[in-house]
Amino acid sequence: MDNLRIDALIIGGGIAGMQSALDLADQGFQVALVEREPSIGGRMITLSKVFPTLDCCSCITTPKMSAVAHHPNIHLLTYCEVQSVREHGTGFDISILQKPRYVDVSKCTGCRDCEYECPITVPSPFDRNLGAYRAIRVPFSTAVPQKAVLDPEYCLWCGKCEQVCPVEAIDFTQQPETFNIEAASIVMATGFDLTPMETKKEYGAGKLHNVIDPLMMERFLAPTGPYGRVLRPGDGKEPTSIAYVQCAGSRDETLNITYCSRVCCMYAIKQAMLISGALPMAEITIYYMDIRTFGKGYEQFYQNAKAMGVEFVRGKVASIKEDSDQNPIVKVEMTDIGEIVERTHDLVVLSQGIIPASSPILRGGSTQAVSLPLGSDGFIYVPAPDSAPCVTERAGIFVTGTAMGPMDIVDSIISASAAAAEASAYIRENGNRVEAHKEALYA
Amino acid sequence: MSARVDPQFLTEIKKYGAVNIEACFNCGNCTAICPLSTNGETFPRRIIRYAQLGLKEPLLSSKELWLCYYCGECTRTCPKQANPGEFMAAARRYAIASYDPTGLAKALYTSPILSAIFLVLPALLIGLGIYAFHGPMPTNALKLFDFIPAGIIHNFGVIGMILLAVLLLAGMVNMSIKVKGEKTPGVHHDWMRALWETLIEVLTQQRYQQDCETEADKPVWYLQKWFIHASTLWGFLGLLVATALDYGLEVLGIKATGTWVPFWNPIRLLGTIAGLLLVYGTSMAFVRRIRKSDATSTYSTISDWAFLILLWLTGVSGFLLEIALYLPQPGIWAYWTLLFHISAAGELLILMPFTKFAHAMYRAIAIYFHALKPVPVAEPAKAGAD
Repeated sequence: MDNLRIDALIIGGGIAGMQSALDLADQGFQVALVEREPSIGGRMITLSKVFPTLDCCSCITTPKMSAVAHHPNIHLLTYCEVQSVREHGTGFDISILQKPRYVDVSKCTGCRDCEYECPITVPSPFDRNLGAYRAIRVPFSTAVPQKAVLDPEYCLWCGKCEQVCPVEAIDFTQQPETFNIEAASIVMATGFDLTPMETKKEYGAGKLHNVIDPLMMERFLAPTGPYGRVLRPGDGKEPTSIAYVQCAGSRDETLNITYCSRVCCMYAIKQAMLISGALPMAEITIYYMDIRTFGKGYEQFYQNAKAMGVEFVRGKVASIKEDSDQNPIVKVEMTDIGEIVERTHDLVVLSQGIIPASSPILRGGSTQAVSLPLGSDGFIYVPAPDSAPCVTERAGIFVTGTAMGPMDIVDSIISASAAAAEASAYIRENGNRVEAHKEALYA
Repeated sequence: MSARVDPQFLTEIKKYGAVNIEACFNCGNCTAICPLSTNGETFPRRIIRYAQLGLKEPLLSSKELWLCYYCGECTRTCPKQANPGEFMAAARRYAIASYDPTGLAKALYTSPILSAIFLVLPALLIGLGIYAFHGPMPTNALKLFDFIPAGIIHNFGVIGMILLAVLLLAGMVNMSIKVKGEKTPGVHHDWMRALWETLIEVLTQQRYQQDCETEADKPVWYLQKWFIHASTLWGFLGLLVATALDYGLEVLGIKATGTWVPFWNPIRLLGTIAGLLLVYGTSMAFVRRIRKSDATSTYSTISDWAFLILLWLTGVSGFLLEIALYLPQPGIWAYWTLLFHISAAGELLILMPFTKFAHAMYRAIAIYFHALKPVPVAEPAKAGAD
């Protein structure tokens, strides 16, 4: 892999990273987008619909993914991880690790013949492990780039894919490679994870059969989902009573997560509406402490859900257990009437909170390599959140999306453009632009 | 229904120890996680709400304050770490102060200086008072009641008991009036059954044992909170019974109080076992509070310490006396131990209505009203199809 000299490095290929990359590239800057997964798209490409418009998520994300892939000023670096960042003048020297795909991407056409031939079935993280794919596969149907990747952890090295590949792209000899990027600025778009289910003992610590996370429900509801319908994972039964437990991992000092994750109220209401469409006979209950519908059109969305018959119960769920039929039992005080109830549901969705993907709770990610100071909440520290929300403590490094803090898709996109504007100003100010590319800008 | 709102109420209760209760946003987690809270008698959230809204009377009329054994589960899981368990304890202290007509309990709870004085002064007065009547200290044989005549102890005891009974009764009546609620005409309550259930719960601490040991990995039985508590309670009751029986034998003219009996004498045996239980329970409670073993033992008020110290001192000095009785040549210390023992026990009883000790009676009353259920009215036989 050749070394690169560019104006801006975007770390993270989710909706925020893609938007920042496109905004900078459209202004003529040379941009590289690093993504640790084999495809860009991030969390958003796995979602079903956006709130409050109920527009299709894929329909918004896929065009952006394609635009990134085909933009002449964007170098797309998938399946790569940032190893270290060193300051170099006013810019940065970045070391990047290219993980081996065992597929020559210059040859692979994405025909999927290897995938059809592969005998090994593997749980698919894209479907939150509810579905399966092969040990060699194109990651998902709308993946960008449409290139196969082989998972060495599961592969038997039987060689069937190699025999069947029409362009001889399979290469079992690939090794991890390191290369360097010289960049004038960096935009952190490292995204989020969910509060781990294991941390909340009262909610079964992830061991209950029919208690799922909200991203699983997104996959059930997405047209490309694993079953194409809503089924509970414990026994494949169609649920007739579904409950949402709000604040299951935010606003909870016992977990050291005191902030509100902002999106959970709205995604729970949105999923409730979508379930009402998918399972018209199902009863849906949302247990909440406060409903926080802060955005444009959000309150109306909430009122609509109520009018549609979604039940809202005020009270923090204290515990979830399960009966002998694996039905989750929720215990809560209905604080409006001061009564304690124990209710049995078929399926419970925990509205888990948002934590930074680089959270110390999880494996240290890119944020560690970049060595940026973190706030007390674990998100990347921003010294002046009121006046310069995308500017970090290190000159030339900017932050966007849920790497800054919990936010929804709309706000992620807005902050992505803001970070791009900040980066653009910084690159021009420091006059460190790559000569060759000035031509592109002024052509 | 009208209610009087006292804007200073929360500030007032916080003087009794509610640690962080203003952080509570009434999510109801505490009520739902509580193993004892039931519909119609929900707590802690409702009680916290009373405090936040300044509803003094409804709070003081809540028997739920005393149904709580403070397992600490609400505090452990509270999403705001508002410490509802400690709030319940503070509200109980506030209630003890409110039911006491003299105002002494309030002074003891809210003023560390007064507390310190009252920890020493009554014992000193009792000690000096009794010492004024002292006799010789024979060293050839241990004759405790030559030193302090039994009659003197008896007279002091009677005076103390009468005083105690009046004050206790005042507190109990105060509480009962508030807690019993409005009488519904035509509804009869099964008070016999309620009394029986109260007796059983007080003696066995069943609910404490079965419902309130909530730790994920329970310690062995003798390290569990309920056993430490029950051991103290049984020890105290056992000693009370043993003392009463010993005195009863004198009244019947069978044997004089305080004379030598073999250690296997049933009354002596009861006293010994009860003493062991009392010293074990109070010592373990000390250890838990010093170590701050869990949320329930983290915050200790002067009142908590004073009650424990007095119980422990009474228990240990009693044991020293028993040992002295069986020693061939006991020293002069035995006589001083007796004086100390009487002073400590006297203070313990005299201060009962004003200190943590008062929970013993208020809890019993609460359990009684909790157990008091209307006698079901026989349904009239159904007429045929209408």
